[in-house]
Amino acid sequence: MALTKKQKKLLYINLTRAMTLDRMMMRIIRAGRMTGFYHEGGVSLAPGVAIGSFLRKDDCLGPHYRAHGIAEMVSKGVDIPSYLAEHMGREDGCCKGRSSYHWSYPDDKMYGAGANLGMPYGLACGYSFAAKYKGTDQVALTAFGDGSFQEGRSYEGLSMASAWKLPAIFWCNNNGIAQHTELSNVYPIEDLSRVAAALGMPTMIVDGQDLFACGEAALKAIDHARKGKGPFFVEAKYLRAQEHNVGGLNTSGDVPRSQELMEKWKEERDPLKLATLQLLDEGILTQKEIEKIQKDAEDEADKIEEAADQSPKALPSIEELLAAVYAPDTVVENA
Amino acid sequence: MSEVRELTFSEAINEAYIEEMQCDENVFLFGECIRAGTFPHTAGLLKKFGEKRVLDSPIAEANMAGFALGAAQEGLRPVVDFMYAGFSYYAATEIFLNTASYYHVHGSQHPVPIVYVGTCGVGRRVGYEHATPVYGTAIHHPGLKVCMPSTPYDAKGLMKAAIRDNNPVFFLWHTTMVAQKGPVPEEEYIVPLGLADVKREGTDVTILTLGLQVHNALAVAETLQDEISVEVVDARSVEPFDLETLLKSVEKTTRLVIVDEDIERAGFAAEISALMMEQGYDLLDAPVKRVCHPNFPSPGGYMDAYTMPTPERIEDAVREVCR
Repeated sequence: MALTKKQKKLLYINLTRAMTLDRMMMRIIRAGRMTGFYHEGGVSLAPGVAIGSFLRKDDCLGPHYRAHGIAEMVSKGVDIPSYLAEHMGREDGCCKGRSSYHWSYPDDKMYGAGANLGMPYGLACGYSFAAKYKGTDQVALTAFGDGSFQEGRSYEGLSMASAWKLPAIFWCNNNGIAQHTELSNVYPIEDLSRVAAALGMPTMIVDGQDLFACGEAALKAIDHARKGKGPFFVEAKYLRAQEHNVGGLNTSGDVPRSQELMEKWKEERDPLKLATLQLLDEGILTQKEIEKIQKDAEDEADKIEEAADQSPKALPSIEELLAAVYAPDTVVENA
Repeated sequence: MSEVRELTFSEAINEAYIEEMQCDENVFLFGECIRAGTFPHTAGLLKKFGEKRVLDSPIAEANMAGFALGAAQEGLRPVVDFMYAGFSYYAATEIFLNTASYYHVHGSQHPVPIVYVGTCGVGRRVGYEHATPVYGTAIHHPGLKVCMPSTPYDAKGLMKAAIRDNNPVFFLWHTTMVAQKGPVPEEEYIVPLGLADVKREGTDVTILTLGLQVHNALAVAETLQDEISVEVVDARSVEPFDLETLLKSVEKTTRLVIVDEDIERAGFAAEISALMMEQGYDLLDAPVKRVCHPNFPSPGGYMDAYTMPTPERIEDAVREVCR
């Protein structure tokens, strides 16, 4: 599905914002002001932006853990100050500072993240089943990596979604490495979408560094699911040009990944650089407009950081936490 | 007045399903071989409610539980049937970590109402996967509620409470009691989670137990009635646990035996013993005694006599605390 100029502009603005916010997150964790982990987005955020930009607010979205979903969230319009405050363990965090990177935004149909790999497949089945059950045209999209795909849960979820023709989109960000383990060492095939194809699902492979190719794939997958044709699988081949998580090693097995290669990727395969060249070339944006988009994104990040920083550290009493474990009863009138 | 009708456990649960599915469109059943009904508690429901609301799941427990969490987050109220509760261990991440924690960790803002159903219990010589009662493991994960009925009356009332509850609830029922009958009134009622039931009053010793073991405890109370007056407290709900009713009972009897089919170490009986030490120490005239599954893996074959809390083992324990 070819993108309109307006759609390209939207993707471009959202990628600029996502990458700016990713740098903000990096500043904050490096300054020791974040609780928990952060997994740098770097040049890996084009798929997340594509997904978040084209889903409706009422579509369920389980983002990939990389950059903790910031690309998906900022593109879908989630309140980012409370997301940052959550990562910083503050009272105004979206989960009252209790969740660290598990954040959630039920009103935006984003129910949070988890650290144990393999959860997204079942969840996507549950979300998309609920849409079908209620007779709406909502779709559910879940993004995951090649690491998560190694879990048996991927097979369980894909096969159920395909058997029941659920309106689910499985978006695989495949960079061929999970932490420090190359996919080729532990998995027999390179293109994971072949597994989905074998389970009867339409699939496509897309360049995850190409923002507009990702956008087109997202539109196609969403359209397919929304029309009730069942699930769709997208495999975005993309790059990780830095360590798995901040402060971690950047190795393949115990061998450091080449710094020159990482730098080359950042120089030549940065999705924002590629998109900038393309939009200038196509005359969709001028240099001046691009500078304005960048400046606006920086201002947004500064405001978000300032807002989150003003919130006090969340340190509720033990009694308060004990009283908050169970949801209260709903009053039901007995017949 | 006509006599109260008798239903089996399965029929009682079946009625609870029908009533709750009729009053809430969002309740649906999803589980392993429930359309045909490996156990008879789902008999006739496919015909009554259709394919949309009564679904056979793939044999994929982790996905089943992840699916249930997603469906609950989206406003449905899934009842997930694992057939045997031990099969749910494949979904330990989904149930014990992600679902149990979800409400609290996400700021106590978004409830996830789910019922997990499974049979369990020793006594059929089928080994550990079919026997493990799960509740000892489950209560170690705050956010889950857990119940296990001893009568068809309680089964129906607890199931209705579990479906209406806004939290994930494990509903366990004993494999050997599937066809056991008991009185169930025609009128609608609920047995709230967190309310124990004194199944027999006594003055010398309290037996706290649940599920099938309530009946063994009652048999022991009957056997000993001329020597020792035994009070039998049916916990019914393991979490929330009705400590108040237990303390009231022990205040009267001053002695406590806990009968628990689970492995002894770090289980329900161990937890209640610790609670008694902390909150009921002054009420006791003898140390608390546990009758549990010994600390070895649950075997098949003919070794039930030492793994099950038999009436003989329970009687020995009662005599020991009354010495």
